[in-house]
Amino acid sequence: MMVIGVPSETAVNENRVALTPKTVVQLRKLGYDVMVEQGAGLKAGLPDAAFQAAGAVLMDKTATWGADIVLRVVAPSDAELALLHPGATLIAFLEPRFDQTMVDKCAAAGITALSMDMIPRISRAQSMDALSSMANISGYRAVVEAAHAFGRFLGGQVTAAGKVLPANVFIIGTGVAGLAAIGVANSMGAVVRATDVRPETAEQVESMGATFVQVNAAQVAQEVSADGYAKETSDDYNQRAAIMYAEQVKQADIVIATAAVPGKASPRLITAQMVAAMTPGSVIVDLAAPGGGNCELTKPGLSYVTDNGVTIIGYTDMVSRLAGQSSQLYARNVANLVGLLTPEPNGVPVVNFDDEIVRTATITLNGTVTFPPPAVQVSAPVAANVLSEQSPAPPPKSPLPWPIQVAAITVAAVAASLLLSLAPTAFLSSLAVFTLATVAGYYVVWGVTSALHTPLMSLSNAISGIIVVGAMWQLSSDSGLVRLIAALAIVVAVINIVGGFVITSRMVAMFRKEAR
Amino acid sequence: MNPQQLVAATCIVSGLLFIFSIAGLNRPETAKRGTALGVVGMAMAMAAAMIELTAGEPSRATYLLLAGAVLAGTVIGAIYAFTVKMTGMPGLVALFNSFGGLASALVGFNSYLEHSDSGAAHLTEVFLGTMIGVVTFTGSIVAWAKLSEKSWARQVLLPGRNWINLGLLLASSGLGYWFVNSADGALLPLLTMSVLMAVFGIHLVLAIGGADMPVVVSILNAYSGLAATFAGFMLNSDVLIVTGTLVGSSGLILSYLMCRGMNRSFLSVILGGFGQLTTTVAIDGVDGVVTEIVPAKVAELLVNAENVIITPGYGMAVAQAQHPVAQLTRLLRGFGSEVRFAVHPVAGRMPGHMNVLLAEAQVPYDLVFEMDEINDDFATADVVLVIGANDTVNPAAATPGTPISGMPVLRVWEAKQVIVFKRGRGAGYAGVPNPLFYADNTAMCFGDAAQTIQAINAALPGV
Repeated sequence: MMVIGVPSETAVNENRVALTPKTVVQLRKLGYDVMVEQGAGLKAGLPDAAFQAAGAVLMDKTATWGADIVLRVVAPSDAELALLHPGATLIAFLEPRFDQTMVDKCAAAGITALSMDMIPRISRAQSMDALSSMANISGYRAVVEAAHAFGRFLGGQVTAAGKVLPANVFIIGTGVAGLAAIGVANSMGAVVRATDVRPETAEQVESMGATFVQVNAAQVAQEVSADGYAKETSDDYNQRAAIMYAEQVKQADIVIATAAVPGKASPRLITAQMVAAMTPGSVIVDLAAPGGGNCELTKPGLSYVTDNGVTIIGYTDMVSRLAGQSSQLYARNVANLVGLLTPEPNGVPVVNFDDEIVRTATITLNGTVTFPPPAVQVSAPVAANVLSEQSPAPPPKSPLPWPIQVAAITVAAVAASLLLSLAPTAFLSSLAVFTLATVAGYYVVWGVTSALHTPLMSLSNAISGIIVVGAMWQLSSDSGLVRLIAALAIVVAVINIVGGFVITSRMVAMFRKEAR
Repeated sequence: MNPQQLVAATCIVSGLLFIFSIAGLNRPETAKRGTALGVVGMAMAMAAAMIELTAGEPSRATYLLLAGAVLAGTVIGAIYAFTVKMTGMPGLVALFNSFGGLASALVGFNSYLEHSDSGAAHLTEVFLGTMIGVVTFTGSIVAWAKLSEKSWARQVLLPGRNWINLGLLLASSGLGYWFVNSADGALLPLLTMSVLMAVFGIHLVLAIGGADMPVVVSILNAYSGLAATFAGFMLNSDVLIVTGTLVGSSGLILSYLMCRGMNRSFLSVILGGFGQLTTTVAIDGVDGVVTEIVPAKVAELLVNAENVIITPGYGMAVAQAQHPVAQLTRLLRGFGSEVRFAVHPVAGRMPGHMNVLLAEAQVPYDLVFEMDEINDDFATADVVLVIGANDTVNPAAATPGTPISGMPVLRVWEAKQVIVFKRGRGAGYAGVPNPLFYADNTAMCFGDAAQTIQAINAALPGV
């Protein structure tokens, strides 16, 4: 039976704790003994007595770090890392994509390290996805902080003393944090607009009650296929995006920027110029501050007022400001991961690399570096709240510049005309009909939905019975033989027509939409 | 108004109606209207032909002949079409198609008999129209026989079959040269060519495996359109050209879509021999043990599943299991589970065959998804039911060197639990062993799919 240790968080302004009394019970059911450092949960509103009541043993710092499995929120300091014994397992936000040296340190310590921020975004791992659960909380808190700094109501009101307009809130990046922020701002009565580089998120945004603002991507894509230069178009896209941001930021009373890329510097989307254009009293909350911020003027960790009276909030401890709630969710994520590592309830963890969640989250295994992991088939975009600087423009399709294409087509067209002029006139008029019908047929048939391909086949089969017309004309012949053959042709063609149409209508009559 | 003008106008309108008719199949909502427009177009075209016929003041016997022929055709066609079961429908479409080809060939002959001295251009059109008509006729008959599993239509692979086909085509071209260049045409080359092409059609389709019949039927359908187009050229009829071209486009595009769904070229399908390749490539994961599961246990799994995807294949059609499957769908949705269908583009014996069967069993079409729409969702499915599908769910498609390599497949194995309903333990049409059956998260439910699924329905609570 192994022992799980939960030391206190020692980072500045970190109020969370990696386990709650409830999850202590959950882990003890899996067969583990749990040690918690004295006072570890105090700042999250979880007294030692509650841990004891749940069956945890209170220990000091050295003892908890000496456990077989150590659970933490924030990555350990070098001194803390030294307290781990080789072969121990550490689970925390180690952020190896940010800081590769942490991987090397864990390897040097000879430990097995699982990083909570490496849990892949696949459905099965949702219950362990701490990035999402933390993003949800920070989205909520961002609106609360903004409302606090903003000197007015968020909702509009008509009072006996006059009318108060609702606040305009603009949200950049509609991942988990962005969507949470939309929900809160909306419920407080603000008028909410939101944007994201992924136009497909528009539906989610609208479902949360906000208006989706997008860069006119269709126009951009059109220009791509016309001139074929991807790079310029990319610049062009960014320019358009910048114009859109400038417009929206200027109108907004509150801007909440959530475009963070785990492991990378945050994209700079709000320039000093845009901030200068804002009304005094406006507020910017930059949730991307840990990665440098989406706003040029953000000072990570600080809240300050610019010369033109705009409050810029760059707190990096947004989640920690709701320590009770965030500890509860994080502890549940961690406990679920430990549950995944423990196939039998005997308190023995198994690091099974056939499980892609375990494989991806593990950055060192008994002192061997296993980071970066192999790519995982994700069901959702890896970084859902990413607003990348890259343009979504597709690569150019046509390798030839358009003038050459037009020239080639012209040559071919002239050649074809000369060739056709040799044909008899009657043939030419038939050919004209044929050509136009080919083009019409091509477009019409491509439009048919694949579910109806069998009816299409039988419908076009029925229509091919049109040959009956030819046979009918031939009935007027003077020759008895011709009339007889024509009659036979009519019989078979009509079988084709009637049978084809009947089958087709039998089929299409069966297709029905769900009655709601 | 003179009748000539009325006829010409009617022909233009009926051509347009046919275009609108096919356009109506864009969406299931407008499909009925589309079919009806096709009927109206055909009625107008035939009415126009009637007016033209009447203008020549033919004898009463001719009218009787016409009435008798139309009546006979209607009765026969309607009887067939109303009585066929939906599972037998691909074969019937092929059979009807052969009639279309025969009609074109007969019209070609007639056109020659009427105007045997009408110049090289016309004779060329006659020759080509008849040729395609005959190939369509015999080829479609063989396709029908294969789809109805007639024993004589089993795959026949003669040695040097491609040379035989080439020889027949060359001989026909030579006959064509003779036919067009003899002063007033000659019946002998036309007849000889017809016999050769009849053989060609039979031989061509016999060599193609049953799994490729959908592509064949679709191509033959395009041929019958082409034959009508040639008839249009030889009779100077725009309505025939427009309509024939529409049919040709539809057939060719459908064949292209199907070949793309199987990752194969037109040529390799037409040249035949599919399924005869012996697999020389070792496929990983086919040497384990298969886990068997009984219907009662499947019912248990399904009750606890929130997200179920059903992947039907030809086996569902063979077992006539679509009605029990539809009932299962209703029951599971009654528990609040999400049930969806994933249809591979080449599942079944016709493009969209599965959609038709499911529609027949009254599964709402908004539950039925195409491969590209649903392939990413398997990873989030609790249970996937594979009903009579094999090659379309074979992970070995990712292994190079097999007959199905590179074919896009439904990634059912990404689901938590896969249950495969299968008659026996054999490989699929392509003869490639399927590692899916040996996967840890796969359980096999052997037996007739209709019976096993009925047993599951009975084992579900509240039934």
